[in-house]
Amino acid sequence: MTTQHKTKSSSWKNKFREKLIEIIGKEGVISSDDELLAYDCDALTGYRIKPVFVVLPTNTKQVSQVIKECYLENIPFVPRGAGTGLSGGALPTDEGIVISLTRMNKILDVDIPNQRVVVEPGVVNLWVTNAVSPYGYYYAPDPSSQIVCTIGGNVAENSGGVHCLKYGVTTNHVLGVEMVLPDGEIIEIGGKALDHPGYDIAGLVVGSEGLLGIVTKVTLKIIKKPEAVKTLLASYDNVEDAGASVSGITARGVIPAGMEIMDSLCIKSVEETIGAGYPIDAGAILLVELDGPSAEVEAQLPIVEEVLKDNNAIQIKIAKNSKERDLLWKGRKSAFPAMGRISSDYYVQDGVIPRSKLAEVLGEIAELSKKYDLRVANVFHAGDGNLHPLVLYDASKEGDLDKTLELAGEILKVCVDKGGSITGEHGVGHDKKRFLSLMFDDNDLDAMNLIRCAFDNKDLCNPGKLFPTPRTCVEPGMKKFEEHPVQKAGMGEMY
Amino acid sequence: MIKKSTLRNLCKIVDEKNVVFESEKLGEFSIDGVLPQIVLSPNNIDQVSEIMKLASKDALSVIPWGSGTKSALGNKPDRADIILSTKNLDRIIEHGASDLVATTECGITLKKFQEALNKENQFLAVDPPHVTHVNRRATIGGIIATNDSGPERLRYGAIREFLIGIKVVKADGSIFKGGSKVVKNVAGYDLPKLYVGSLGTLGIIVEATFRLYPVPEYSQTYVASFSSLEDCQETISTLLNSHLVITSLELLNPDLAASLAKRNDVDINDSRYSLVIGIRSVEKAVKEQIPSVKKICDQNNGNGFLISGTPEEKLWEDIRNFPWIILKSDRVVSKVGVVVTQIPQVLQTIKQISNEYGVKIYVSVRAGNGICIIALKGEGPSVNNALKHLRNFISSINGHLVLLEAPSEIKNSFDVWGEIGSGLGIMKRIKANYDPNNLLNPGRYI
Repeated sequence: MTTQHKTKSSSWKNKFREKLIEIIGKEGVISSDDELLAYDCDALTGYRIKPVFVVLPTNTKQVSQVIKECYLENIPFVPRGAGTGLSGGALPTDEGIVISLTRMNKILDVDIPNQRVVVEPGVVNLWVTNAVSPYGYYYAPDPSSQIVCTIGGNVAENSGGVHCLKYGVTTNHVLGVEMVLPDGEIIEIGGKALDHPGYDIAGLVVGSEGLLGIVTKVTLKIIKKPEAVKTLLASYDNVEDAGASVSGITARGVIPAGMEIMDSLCIKSVEETIGAGYPIDAGAILLVELDGPSAEVEAQLPIVEEVLKDNNAIQIKIAKNSKERDLLWKGRKSAFPAMGRISSDYYVQDGVIPRSKLAEVLGEIAELSKKYDLRVANVFHAGDGNLHPLVLYDASKEGDLDKTLELAGEILKVCVDKGGSITGEHGVGHDKKRFLSLMFDDNDLDAMNLIRCAFDNKDLCNPGKLFPTPRTCVEPGMKKFEEHPVQKAGMGEMY
Repeated sequence: MIKKSTLRNLCKIVDEKNVVFESEKLGEFSIDGVLPQIVLSPNNIDQVSEIMKLASKDALSVIPWGSGTKSALGNKPDRADIILSTKNLDRIIEHGASDLVATTECGITLKKFQEALNKENQFLAVDPPHVTHVNRRATIGGIIATNDSGPERLRYGAIREFLIGIKVVKADGSIFKGGSKVVKNVAGYDLPKLYVGSLGTLGIIVEATFRLYPVPEYSQTYVASFSSLEDCQETISTLLNSHLVITSLELLNPDLAASLAKRNDVDINDSRYSLVIGIRSVEKAVKEQIPSVKKICDQNNGNGFLISGTPEEKLWEDIRNFPWIILKSDRVVSKVGVVVTQIPQVLQTIKQISNEYGVKIYVSVRAGNGICIIALKGEGPSVNNALKHLRNFISSINGHLVLLEAPSEIKNSFDVWGEIGSGLGIMKRIKANYDPNNLLNPGRYI
């Protein structure tokens, strides 16, 4: 019986449900239609698929047992954290179940002297910082959704944030994982000490978008809060000057903790929404945050100011205290929701370019905006070239969404043409898989597929994501099927 | 044995001057006594691919080779038909100074790469050993493949943190790339990570893209010695828990301190544990942080002095390279990973082992991250037993010990890698998928 038939049969469903309940208990298995609806998408709400069941295990053994059942019955499964992902990575799969890790939410070990924290995957990002901040430490990756998103989801997506220019992204802070492989085997990789012998599987798993198994325990590195922090706001007539300032700062040997640019459309909507004190008529603003030992920050501050002035900054404001600083950042962090103020709907794009190409790319985005007759607001993690163009549209207008997606796709093509990437932090997931081949040719994708096959030869773990087209697994040692020359020439067909 | 016809075809791929097959010249390519039949140094990536295709067809084993500085790492190879030297793949492809990234072929030496980057006042933030040696200098590919690092890892991290893109020739000769050329990217699996520390078992690493850092404008190092290990550890934890941003923090055991004191014109107290604390940043930041470092050392009864300029550079160079400087032959070098709070136990145990087996042991601990470089002097059963004792102890505290280099007789009875753990199965499956006929570095690692 094929999988499809199976999950449609109520007797099979009942039997499978019983098995799941046996493993997890009744309260951990969701099967009623209305409750399942809450899991039919992540934060990319344009795509929805209702899963067969949702299970909420509370420990690694349960995850393993559930996966073993799935493996035995060839049932696909999708791991899910808080569902804040923007690329549809946690979109359920047809005829499959969702494994939600939100009940595995314990902080297992806070080890300050060794600067390590061990957590379960359902632990919310900000909880880690909250747990260690009394000791003067914090967990560096800080995605905008950090008050709700989970460490498990961060690991899957290799999440970044506004401070990753200096401190790196999730992968630079994960030292070990315990995970359940797609056949149910539990393995442990890395840990508190560095350089465990063996391949860097943890490095491979971070950012694998939930395709290689389910992470059930994560060892994180925490870092000491900096002694001093200075946040500057510079306003400009145009985005080009703001962009030139960013390159200018790193060229002078200064690596700020974060550098963020917003264009005029963004500034207006943020100001109207929360009043962050941004100059409302500016063409662009640049936020620069310096942190580190006081002496270092003091030495860098005049250099940064000089660069900003050299690049035609109209006004430079330095936050006097933490309250002013928080307000400046609040404006940046509410940039996405603030779009609701000026447009009924918006699509968040996520692309990366070499920092130095910022000005040209912005020009091209402006032209695309004109061509498609859709407004595009721009927010960037400028320091690392990560763009978040927000395409504004009206979902109630016939064809507007299609036009939006087309425009958003054109922006990715521009990014790749400039030597960049189709995603800096949101992931490929379901949303961008067709764009992956802009960056990677067949050989590259084959190499990735060999990884997937090593982990998941039945293609059950979050299937249908990331890869542009389905790829099968070939047994090691077997030659890849090659077309006969006659076929290649179109002179004959296999039969 | 390589078939005569295959040999002929292999020789056709590269220029005559890039083939070594004369037995008297093959000696320098010995790996634990195993000699290759031929050494090929392709001029470009396509030639690498052609060699791998031929090797694959005839199931010939291939050992990737940068400059051989770490050829002692790994278990004894099962076989070695071809050594593929990357020495001619030494061109820098692109240095995007304003983007702080650079792409290079992987046969380039780190020294040459850094010299080019330094022109723009930038650098690749790794400081492994074997960089300045006269003949054999560590290459980028070799550093990636062995995950080699140095004292400055405390501040910057290891090479995995900077390697953002990679190009590889697989065992079957196919060429693929992973990652990208921009510092932030999550498109597709992070394949560059897989190659860090893979010891050439998954393909020939031919090109790499790195994120770079600006060269810090100023540097000073404070050296303090302590009569008790407790005082030393207290100093370390106070430093790590402070707001100071320390670039490198190295703890030398008395035997190493003594040996380095002799070689350097600096007054290292040779009977005590020494801490070497380096800070690199803007001048103001260095000068204002060093007094705090001194104060913390003083509070813990550490007597010290400040160095900068040439003596400072020379001391760090010696620390990075100490096993190979101090012990010209018969050395056993290992890398241990533990957590920072376990460092005193490790050093106590090493002292005890040194006494018990009568073996001289030199230790440099990266005190900020728990990596210990340990060199034992000598050969024979006492060294062997001391090493086994040390491995057992390290395992008992959940750390790990990897042998970086040892005479064959020791390697014959000692697994270089130790317990890899429950991840070994998946590693073997990845290896099998990438190199189904086990041609690349067979027997040495996964």
